[in-house]
Amino acid sequence: MPTDADADALVEVRDLTTMLSGKAVFDGLSLDIPRGKVTAIMGPSGTGKTTLLKHITGQMRPDRGTLRVDGQNVPTLGREALYALRERIGYLFQNSALLTDYDVFENVAFPLRQHARLPEVLLRNIVLTKLQAVGLRGAARLMPSELSGGMARRVALARAIVFDPMLILYDEPFVGLDPIALNQVLKLIRTLNRTLGITSILVAHEFAAVRQVADGVHLIANGRLVASGTPEQLARGESDWTRQFFGGEADGPVPFQYPAGDYAEALGFTGAAA
Amino acid sequence: MNPRRSFAAGTGLFILLGFAALAYLATQTSSVANFSSGPTYDVVAQFDNVGSLKDRAPVKIAGVRVGSVKSIQLDNQSMEAKVTLAIDTRYNDIPDDSFAKIMTSGLLGDQFVALSPGGSPDVLKNGSRIINTQSAMQLEDLIGKFLVGGSSPAKSSSTGAAGGGKNGG
Amino acid sequence: MSADMKTKAPRGGMLVDGLAQIGACGLFLLALLGAIPRSLRHLREISRQVWFVGAMSLVIIMISGLFVGMVLALQLYYTLSIFGGTAALGTVVALSLYRELGPVITALLFAGRAGTAMTAEIGLMRATDQLAAMEMMAVDPIAFVATPRFLAGVIAMPLLANVFSMLGLLGAHLVGVTWLGVDNGTFWSNMTSNVDVWKDIVNGTWKALAFGVVVSLIAVFQGYTAPPTSEGVAYATTRTVVFASIVILALDFVMTAFLM
Ligand SMILES: Nc1ncnc2c1ncn2[C@@H]1O[C@H](COP(=O)(O)OP(=O)(O)O)[C@@H](O)[C@H]1O
Ligand SMILES: [Mg+2]
Repeated sequence: MPTDADADALVEVRDLTTMLSGKAVFDGLSLDIPRGKVTAIMGPSGTGKTTLLKHITGQMRPDRGTLRVDGQNVPTLGREALYALRERIGYLFQNSALLTDYDVFENVAFPLRQHARLPEVLLRNIVLTKLQAVGLRGAARLMPSELSGGMARRVALARAIVFDPMLILYDEPFVGLDPIALNQVLKLIRTLNRTLGITSILVAHEFAAVRQVADGVHLIANGRLVASGTPEQLARGESDWTRQFFGGEADGPVPFQYPAGDYAEALGFTGAAA
Repeated sequence: MNPRRSFAAGTGLFILLGFAALAYLATQTSSVANFSSGPTYDVVAQFDNVGSLKDRAPVKIAGVRVGSVKSIQLDNQSMEAKVTLAIDTRYNDIPDDSFAKIMTSGLLGDQFVALSPGGSPDVLKNGSRIINTQSAMQLEDLIGKFLVGGSSPAKSSSTGAAGGGKNGG
Repeated sequence: MSADMKTKAPRGGMLVDGLAQIGACGLFLLALLGAIPRSLRHLREISRQVWFVGAMSLVIIMISGLFVGMVLALQLYYTLSIFGGTAALGTVVALSLYRELGPVITALLFAGRAGTAMTAEIGLMRATDQLAAMEMMAVDPIAFVATPRFLAGVIAMPLLANVFSMLGLLGAHLVGVTWLGVDNGTFWSNMTSNVDVWKDIVNGTWKALAFGVVVSLIAVFQGYTAPPTSEGVAYATTRTVVFASIVILALDFVMTAFLM
């Protein structure tokens, strides 16, 4: 639990509270993301993992709480400061989000063209280096529609690291990948972290994959942090939450049944019961 | 880089085409086309009634455009319409006893001034006055005549007497 | 103005819904205009969009203009010949085209051809997180996506309307002079003595510009606020055509009454 506010935290979330369409997505969430590590964030679908990443990058503002990234309180940042911060953050979207108008090369070059006035030769070298890093230099002139899901995700990753960010956020990077593509992406996440020291936040459901790459895991549910530790600690399953989540039980703290009215009544048995 | 440049070229071409269309419509199909670019000289003619003759209406000889109506004013003394015609200088040998007539192209078309050349050796110059004129044919008069029983040819209301003495350049 | 722009439907019936839409659209227009200085840095993107919404609409505009001019000549020749006024054919065709049919038909075709494309494209960019991805790359999607398309539409519409009118004139000349035998000289001279540059051609161009503003605004707004689902995008595309058509015709009446 993030009680000791260690100076090593790149991202510091405190008492985060957010209501969306009348529902509390976060209800006093606090957690730390240590610098230079891969931290996984896990939790049931719809629990607000994507929303948390959007808070960290200032795409959404919380109703209450602070959210420090490298010392800056994101919800209070103005447009310019926010954009300056975002240039130092890479974000891998759940569905890659490549710009369909541009080919692979131009997609990766996009942030450079927008923010840096580079000579064409230098720009080309940077882009090709990043594409080489994800193994897709040969695909530079393909259009996004010609890529498989795994390739698209690797291109998106190349785009996310083109500015050598301090922090990368991965939103469910393994979904829909075949085992080979999954391992390629996994390897990239590990390489980027180990060789470049980029802090990484990894939202994922695949515990087997998370286990291979994450230094720490935060489990969130019902708008709060319910468990936290190394993958091994969580795998031991010392609480109801971890048992249900990592032990694969259908019912537990997260009920199998979506909240509903009385079952017998819904089937029209009220008369018989009376 | 090539596809990008051809985009820009195509876009430029499109914008050029659009403006060319605007320029064409504005200069070739509107009254702007009637402003003769060359030099002109002014000739005055007085009419009983100009009907719906308008500024910039064509002036024609034998159906060929030789100039345009420059202004239409009321002459306070004679209570007639004083029409100033701007004639292209290249038509500089129009006899000064030519006959000016306001005509209509078609039944509902526009009115214009038709000049029928006379036989005088002197020619119209800047400031000349055309003496022989015939006013616009009024549709109402025409219909009236038909209804009443249709008498003789249209009364030729030559206004020659009015300006007779003041001919000159 | 950013990805968190909420499009919650307020309760309280169609009237409030409609007012809320108009209000949101007005605010969106302010955001678009405010982003113009920033989007001028993306000149290449603006030019690309002029190509897509303008040049790519040329063929349909030219063919339609030609046929409209041809049928106009046919109909008006018939009507005018009743009064013996076929000499005025050129004038009547030109005035109808410049003042009314050029701007209006071009705007309707533009809404169907380019407006729907803008809506669908922006809607899909939202649905596939491309707009959010731009935000994350510190690129303002209003300045990079919405405003260039809006400006391109505003630039392209008057140009297209004039091309339409020119082709219409060609079609009318073809039918009136070549086919029905109206005198060529009469056709043009009657036109040139009755068409006024300012009252007819320039005012018609203003009209086209105004239509360009409303059609592009509606198209971009619908795309930007479309629910990020295939149904949402499809619905937004339909709304673009319906709203744009109604607004074009209503605005046409207002502008004709006050301007011309
Ligand atoms: N823009 C939004 N408006 C309203 N509700 C939202 C919005 N975004 C997310 N939500 C809701 O917030 C909850 C968390 O969503 P999300 O962060 O996508 O979950 P996760 O990524 O953990 O699956 C969901 O119940 C979702 O319906
Ligand atoms: Mg999610």
